[in-house]
Amino acid sequence: MSKPKKEIKGGNVSSGKWGYLFILPFFIAYTFCTLIPQLMTFYNSLFMNYRDGLTQVGPKFVGLQNYITLFTPDNSGSIGILKYFGNTIVLWLMGAVPQIVIAMLLAVFFTSYRLNIKGQQFFKTVIYMPNLIMASAFSMLFFTLFSPVGPVNQVLLASGWADKAIDFLNIKVSVRLLISLMNFLMWFGNTTILLMAGIQGIDQSLFEAAQIDGANSWQIFFKVTMPLLSPILVYTVITAMIGGLQMFDVPQILTNGRGMPNRSSMTMVMYLNNYLTTSKNYGMAGAVSVVLFIISAVLSLVVYSSLSKQYKEPKRHRKY
Amino acid sequence: MRNNEESERGRLHLMITRIVVYAILIFLSFLCLFFFYMLIINSTRSNAELQAGFSALPQGHFIENFKNAWTDASINIPRGMLNSFIIASCTAVLTTYFSALTAYGIHIYDFKLKKPAFLFIMAVMMIPPQVSAVGFIQLMFKLKLTNNYLPLIVPSIAAPVVFFYMKQYMESVLPIEIVESARIDGASEFRTFNQIVLPVMKPAIAVQMIFSFVQSWNNYFIPALLLDKAEMKTVPIMIAQLRSADYSKFDMGKVYMFILLAILPVLIVYLILSKFIIKGVTAGAVKG
Amino acid sequence: MKKRLTVLATAMAVVTALTACGGSQPAATTAAPAETTAAAATEAPATTEAPAAETAAAAEESSEGKVFNIYAWNEEFKGFFEKYYTVPEGVTVNWIITPSDNGAYQQKLDEALLNQANAADDEKVDMFLAEADYILKYAGSDATQDVTALGVNDFSNTYKYTVQAASDNNGVVKGVSFQCCPSALIYRRSIAQDVLGVSEPDEVQAKLDSWDKFNAVAKDAKDKGYYMTASFAETYRVFSNNCTMPWVDADNNLQFDPQIEAWIAQTEDFINNDYTLTAGVWDDEKNKQMFADGKTMCFFGPAWYFNFCMGNAQDPEKGCSGDWAICEGPAAHFWGGTWLMAPAGTDNPTMLADIMNTFINDEEVCSALVANEAQFSNNQKVNAKFAEDESYGNEFLGGQNDVAVFSEMTDNIVWENHTIYDQLLNEGLQNQLQEYFKGSVDKDTALKNFYNYINETYPAINTP
Repeated sequence: MSKPKKEIKGGNVSSGKWGYLFILPFFIAYTFCTLIPQLMTFYNSLFMNYRDGLTQVGPKFVGLQNYITLFTPDNSGSIGILKYFGNTIVLWLMGAVPQIVIAMLLAVFFTSYRLNIKGQQFFKTVIYMPNLIMASAFSMLFFTLFSPVGPVNQVLLASGWADKAIDFLNIKVSVRLLISLMNFLMWFGNTTILLMAGIQGIDQSLFEAAQIDGANSWQIFFKVTMPLLSPILVYTVITAMIGGLQMFDVPQILTNGRGMPNRSSMTMVMYLNNYLTTSKNYGMAGAVSVVLFIISAVLSLVVYSSLSKQYKEPKRHRKY
Repeated sequence: MRNNEESERGRLHLMITRIVVYAILIFLSFLCLFFFYMLIINSTRSNAELQAGFSALPQGHFIENFKNAWTDASINIPRGMLNSFIIASCTAVLTTYFSALTAYGIHIYDFKLKKPAFLFIMAVMMIPPQVSAVGFIQLMFKLKLTNNYLPLIVPSIAAPVVFFYMKQYMESVLPIEIVESARIDGASEFRTFNQIVLPVMKPAIAVQMIFSFVQSWNNYFIPALLLDKAEMKTVPIMIAQLRSADYSKFDMGKVYMFILLAILPVLIVYLILSKFIIKGVTAGAVKG
Repeated sequence: MKKRLTVLATAMAVVTALTACGGSQPAATTAAPAETTAAAATEAPATTEAPAAETAAAAEESSEGKVFNIYAWNEEFKGFFEKYYTVPEGVTVNWIITPSDNGAYQQKLDEALLNQANAADDEKVDMFLAEADYILKYAGSDATQDVTALGVNDFSNTYKYTVQAASDNNGVVKGVSFQCCPSALIYRRSIAQDVLGVSEPDEVQAKLDSWDKFNAVAKDAKDKGYYMTASFAETYRVFSNNCTMPWVDADNNLQFDPQIEAWIAQTEDFINNDYTLTAGVWDDEKNKQMFADGKTMCFFGPAWYFNFCMGNAQDPEKGCSGDWAICEGPAAHFWGGTWLMAPAGTDNPTMLADIMNTFINDEEVCSALVANEAQFSNNQKVNAKFAEDESYGNEFLGGQNDVAVFSEMTDNIVWENHTIYDQLLNEGLQNQLQEYFKGSVDKDTALKNFYNYINETYPAINTP
């Protein structure tokens, strides 16, 4: 494959106006559909503003009161938002770690000339399929499967593995496992394909050289593949992180919005949603959004720094 | 002799590895396919059969369930599919075209705000859409754009993730020479993009089209807040409506059929295009 | 009551401000209300004395809107409406159905009602349905109007509590119900025979007419291998309907009625002794108990429950139709019921009144509801006719005349101590305590989670 020997700075100055013109639609749409609503959300967080029945309470300026409320221990003695942030991270890790590890494993399998896997097209197609189902339909299926009278319990009871139906949806560990399993199933195919592409991009001669030096496959993986794959791995981790932070549909529908048991499967966005539904509490919802924004901003900084490093040296790729 | 022995052991080792690898692949494929299988089986069973428990074998109520679901008086699934199709295809076209345009603008041209613009998009890529949802809904109510497809379609013009993908793709497959030779031929900048660049980008566009189509097809959060007229509702809203449907008419066979119908179009498109899609994902991700 | 009045006083200004500005730009709202409040005032007929609206409605019958919008959360009433009401020529009926999950129906309805004054005629809400649990939120607000002014005046045959429920504090009636929902103890005859030695309603009632007897029988049932009820929340309504104080006091502090405490105590006992299951009232696990091979003796529910929720019991193969019967049980109570409410600002007042009159006073329609739809109608005369009819019997209940049983129960139903928060408080308490009854958390934690839930759902309520 011939490398494009492009130099981005080749465009002349007068064509710069075309650059502005071409990126204009994006920025107009972004401003109206995302930026302004975001600013409105932030602005809302400084007001007491909710609905009590059909009565609107506020908006009344309260300064940082909503944030103080947010970080005051609630009835259970814990700071709600920190607890739900913790839940989100735990749920994300439980799904994302196996997702990336297994995807890595599969990517290595698929690209290995020695293994020479047959039916790759079939496997790749199949592992991608769960990504197509609506999260809500997927959660409903899981809900039916694992309910106390569902097929899983029927099998467990019939085979004598359990003498009493197991209430999967009310045990902290199993609820979290189910949510992670669903997220895993929905995303590992996608990750596999991305990583596979990354491995294929590595210069084959490096593998050959390592082999001649007498490295075994583990050594090759950890000393050659992993380091060279790290940029795309970072990308994978970051996109998975974005997805994790936004986790909503799956736990929401599986637990019917309750995050049971004891709110241990309630995520940040579910918490945000609690304020939005009945009470239309735009003040508190705004404050939760701002916190969510700050967390994302910190994460983006990580990406920002790693990306801007790359961006300075646009020619440095693939030939490491 | 030693060599032979070693290769013998190597072959045995390889065979065992292969068996393990295939076992893992088959297990994962089973997990992935199981849910589709269950859905299809359940859509062939009557409500009574479903209530009775789980079964691995299909029954004969597929046609009946299909008729019930397709002609349901309150949940007009053909209409919902049409609505979802309109929204999803418009979204897919707009999002891929404008993302490619934006990526092209930043990739090819040189201007003062080029780097800030790029970094801005990269930064906002991380912000969860829920952060702006509250304000967006308020704004749409104020502009009286409820029960309108525009608020569901237009925002897709600004899709940072799609932009990022297009940008990556251009870096690996779009040589500046193509653009320059077009310029020499006297093509205008806009025509160059439409007639020279877009065809080169076809695989990337196809991939992102199907992805954004699927995403839009499955989207529930915002449409549920903005659409309430029966004839405007999309498929996911209808699926959600099923759950609190009238218990007396609560036919689980029909429910599974609804879900099957909801994912079928996406599934068919995907299966037809899968080879293309996997290739496109691969091509776009070459540069990490 | 004082609280509610102040709420009403502030309602108009704030509500209209919200409609105008979407609540997002507080700084701008100060300017807007003047104009919009005026608009709303002319739009919403003053509830008690609105001769202008009345005469206007009567005079301009022909010029009424061509589109009639009905907001509902499911299809139940739509079915009856399409069967038994003849829509005037040239009028299109639009059903806007939003599922009630997580309060979605009320959200949608609230948006529409708050926007009523600004909506185009064909977009206005012309009628909406409401349930007992939150009817007060609408009946007590200016979003609804006096139905007597529209021409719905004859309540001589309707049950008193259904009228009270749809009235505001001043007794102004804002809607009517097409059904009356006294709730009965529904039991399996064969299991009652086994446990109590009797199976006829009168005899069973004698053995279950107080909570003490009910709790004692639960033990006998357990000894014979049966469950008394199939859901931890099965008896919730029987207790909560008889509360002596509302969920919140005058200062909006949350309070637990002794009846609620009694329910918790009973359920703790039932769960600890395996007299009941930990399933919720709507769960599959409970519904499975309605099959012929189920082991549960008692369920609670009104007339609509037979068709709406007991599909498993009626299943031709695995059900046990005919093995059921009803009696009043330990305490009088009602469950649910759907009210047709009159929104302020409808452009079809005549048709609205006509629908309401049809479903409470048209004897033919009310009879059809009883005979064909297994409803207990909201017309005492019609119900009495069926109650006295020797030949009338419900096959599902082994030929028992359920209308007669329900008719006797209606006198004991009271409508008091309700708040606009009831639905989600009742639901939330059950959901949180379910975790306790299932053993995943202790009682204290469950209650604290209930308070957290309230803080998020109803910021106006003060929790302990």
